[in-house]
Amino acid sequence: MGRVFGHLFMALAAIVVALPIVIVCSAALNGGRTMFFPPQDPTLARFGEFFFSEPVWTRALSNSVIVALGSATLAVLMAWPIAYALWKTGSRQSAMLAGLGSIPFALPPIVFGVGLGFFWSFLGGLGSIWAGIISHAVLFLALPLVTISIGLQAVDRAHLDAAATMGATEGVTFRTIILPQTLPYTISGFFFALVLSFNEFIVMFFVSASAFSTVTLQIFNSLRNGYTPTMAVAAVAFITVSIIVFSAVARWGDLPRLMGADQSRN
Amino acid sequence: MSALSLHGIRKDYGEARAVDDITLDFPDGQLTALLGPSGCGKTTLLRMIAGLEVPTAGTVTVGGRDITRVPAHKRKFGMVFQSFALFPHLTVRDNVAYALTIAGTARGEAAARADTLLDLVQLTGFGDRRIGQLSGGQKQRVAIARALAQEPEVFLLDEPMSALDAKLREEMQVELRLLQQRLGITTIVVTHDQREAMTMADRIIVMSKGRVEQAGTPQEIYHWPATGFVAGFIGRANFMDGVAQDGRIMVGGVALSLPRPAQFLTGSAVQLVCRPEGIRLGAGLAEVNSIEGRVTFVRDLGPVRDIYLETRLGRLVAEQSADQSRVLAVGDRVHLSLPPDALRLYPGLPVTLPATALAAE
Amino acid sequence: MTVAAQIGPMAEVPPALRWGAVVNLLLWAIALLLCLVPFGLVLLISFGHKVEGAGWDWAFSSENYLRFFVGANWPAETTSLYLGQLYWSMRYAVVAAVLAVVTALPFTYLMTRQSRRAQARWLVFLLATLSLSEVFIVMGWDIILSNNSGLPMLFAASGVTDWLKDTGWFDVLRDWGLANPRNVKFKTSEFATVLTLSYLVWPYAVILLYPALSRLDPSLAEAARTMGARPWTVARTVILPAVRLPLMGTTLLLFVFLLGAYVAITVFADPSQHTTAVSIYENVRGSTLNAPFGAAQSVVLLVAAGAFLVLGQRLSRKSQGGA
Repeated sequence: MGRVFGHLFMALAAIVVALPIVIVCSAALNGGRTMFFPPQDPTLARFGEFFFSEPVWTRALSNSVIVALGSATLAVLMAWPIAYALWKTGSRQSAMLAGLGSIPFALPPIVFGVGLGFFWSFLGGLGSIWAGIISHAVLFLALPLVTISIGLQAVDRAHLDAAATMGATEGVTFRTIILPQTLPYTISGFFFALVLSFNEFIVMFFVSASAFSTVTLQIFNSLRNGYTPTMAVAAVAFITVSIIVFSAVARWGDLPRLMGADQSRN
Repeated sequence: MSALSLHGIRKDYGEARAVDDITLDFPDGQLTALLGPSGCGKTTLLRMIAGLEVPTAGTVTVGGRDITRVPAHKRKFGMVFQSFALFPHLTVRDNVAYALTIAGTARGEAAARADTLLDLVQLTGFGDRRIGQLSGGQKQRVAIARALAQEPEVFLLDEPMSALDAKLREEMQVELRLLQQRLGITTIVVTHDQREAMTMADRIIVMSKGRVEQAGTPQEIYHWPATGFVAGFIGRANFMDGVAQDGRIMVGGVALSLPRPAQFLTGSAVQLVCRPEGIRLGAGLAEVNSIEGRVTFVRDLGPVRDIYLETRLGRLVAEQSADQSRVLAVGDRVHLSLPPDALRLYPGLPVTLPATALAAE
Repeated sequence: MTVAAQIGPMAEVPPALRWGAVVNLLLWAIALLLCLVPFGLVLLISFGHKVEGAGWDWAFSSENYLRFFVGANWPAETTSLYLGQLYWSMRYAVVAAVLAVVTALPFTYLMTRQSRRAQARWLVFLLATLSLSEVFIVMGWDIILSNNSGLPMLFAASGVTDWLKDTGWFDVLRDWGLANPRNVKFKTSEFATVLTLSYLVWPYAVILLYPALSRLDPSLAEAARTMGARPWTVARTVILPAVRLPLMGTTLLLFVFLLGAYVAITVFADPSQHTTAVSIYENVRGSTLNAPFGAAQSVVLLVAAGAFLVLGQRLSRKSQGGA
């Protein structure tokens, strides 16, 4: 009885969570310029517009990809030494550094966005895409920081001792033991940052100063004019990317453990 | 090559002293066991030999060369870890070849050497397996092969059998000993299992609370334990508290004789130790150190029988071989004697091990 | 020997150390510059003042804060427009956060009782929705809740509207602001706003509650069952107390996150019920363009968020000490 009730509850939750997404995705099939549900004159023409023919969207998409890839890479590169120092030394100083790096993610993004807007206007980076990349890298630094730290905690210290007794210096141990063993966690952190950067627009709105736009920013900017089915195509593309990325993380990494599940239980 | 020596080694962790002033020589080609209860400092000592820890004081030398401050990766003493510490992201062959690969040995050569070592530990054809596919015993063989790949001057093993089940453990002890003898490599094994130490070692170092209690061959350690602690830790023993009196020992009103008069002043507290198999049971025994006892419990172990006795000396356990005709039952009264040459005498005060040591085997 | 096992390998010396120091210094510089300076700028500029038609100027005046709390024309007149916006920010955030946590808790508990594989699948699903941009989610709910599509249309077409009118519930809905004379309406309404905001953070709630619930020893609940506790009693006496702290922490984090929500508010909330976040946007980059005032509002929002976080930490420490 309780079990049936539980399954019903979970199914209901899944339906509610999926509902708006399904509706947006199906709206992408609309033939006209207006969003209808159920879609009218179903067609795939909007996909062509979004990915190939409409310069507004193709440019936004390429910006999105550049910012997401660039910022995720940068975030991982910054997170590694911070996480490594924290794991290696466990010092107060490195803990503070890690805490500092997590601040932007923990506070309302609109405030960080406003601050970055001022910041880049002083440095002259406002409206340039590299300022956008750096901003997102800092905003999402917390994600690879957490996943890499989790990965490092999983490294057996006896492995490091074993490597040392076989002649490995710290550098060699890092390259041959630590890096390969934490690779799934590094990749997970990269993907988390990538996907969230892909979808973020508030911070990007303040940093871009309308000089360039990403896909979500483009949608945000044209919000006042109403939705078009082409925007729904973007939603389809984004949710697909998310599902592929997180499935990959689940397939090659331990997703439950990354999310903080107890390792001992299955 | 040259012998490994420790001189005045000490290790402090803050206030706690893990290893206290240890001076030892490890002869070439011998297998030495560091034996002691957990927390006695034996693993810390091994880690200092490996270079994984820096001693607070003292020196480590190899053939007269001081290596106290030489880090582990420059000593390259092969070491087998308690958990084996095999790298799960590498294959068996790459694990074994690790030391050679990082030293810049050509790939083919390193792989060939790894395969030779895998043959040596009877894992021919396992090179391409992943670590996760191995059983506990196989993992241990890989760990041994891996530690030997760099042809170390000294071979170190930290509780190498603790991850194996009881049956496999005994097989591996013999196998490891045979391998060590064949290679003639100076080997140090840390263990808390006295049977393991006695099976494998040329020489046993018994440690307690960071200090060496006794160093000697298994026979010496077993038959002539230097302290009451060693007597209790190695094998089983009956402990009796007594007082020295004119070269004899008074225990519970009984005067016990020793082969030679005891070297203790009359009136000083002493501890007498007698192994269970040293106690003789039955009628017609010699008159020396002979008393009567009552059987309180009989524990049949198959080849031998333990007879628990209530006597004027206190509770004693005697071991009887099972083929003896007379079967004792609870409540029987028996004569027993403690032959003088089966008795060992120690100063009385620090009684380190309670009577439960009998059951601690 | 456990002591020995905890101590790492012997410290490595020179070149690595020197490089480490350089990298360390560099990271500190980057972190301070990029993680703290933007917030510092917001604080500094919040004391600046607006120059008509030319942006703003450095200054040290409290005019922006005065304007926020008592209005620009104080003391002649007092307006609480901006305080009102802060109130709506808090109200939406609290209600939506609590709603999300309350519904996510049983879901997460049930999820953690499933197999590891099933959990991984749920997590993929949740992470995908979690990362989906606010613009898409608002788009979806907008289609569902719009007056000429989605639910209102469905209600009218299926006769639910007529049924509601017959039973008298329609007037109740009108009183709640969820219906116009002809049909039910959800735009604009507090209901739609809170629903969307809650939806927005719901996957976060699950992800944040997941660690605590998945580490909950199932034998605890089983032990309670063997002592005769009914499922509801088990939940109340065993599970809830065990996750009290994560529950509070999760609610707080969602609250802080929701303080900055923007798109959902502009689409679903009545303009008279807009929030500080919307006002910040209007002032910094939108129509009114008063960057110092926007900065001042950001500071107030940050202080509010910080105050709640500190308060939460206090409370949890207190209850931890008492436990």
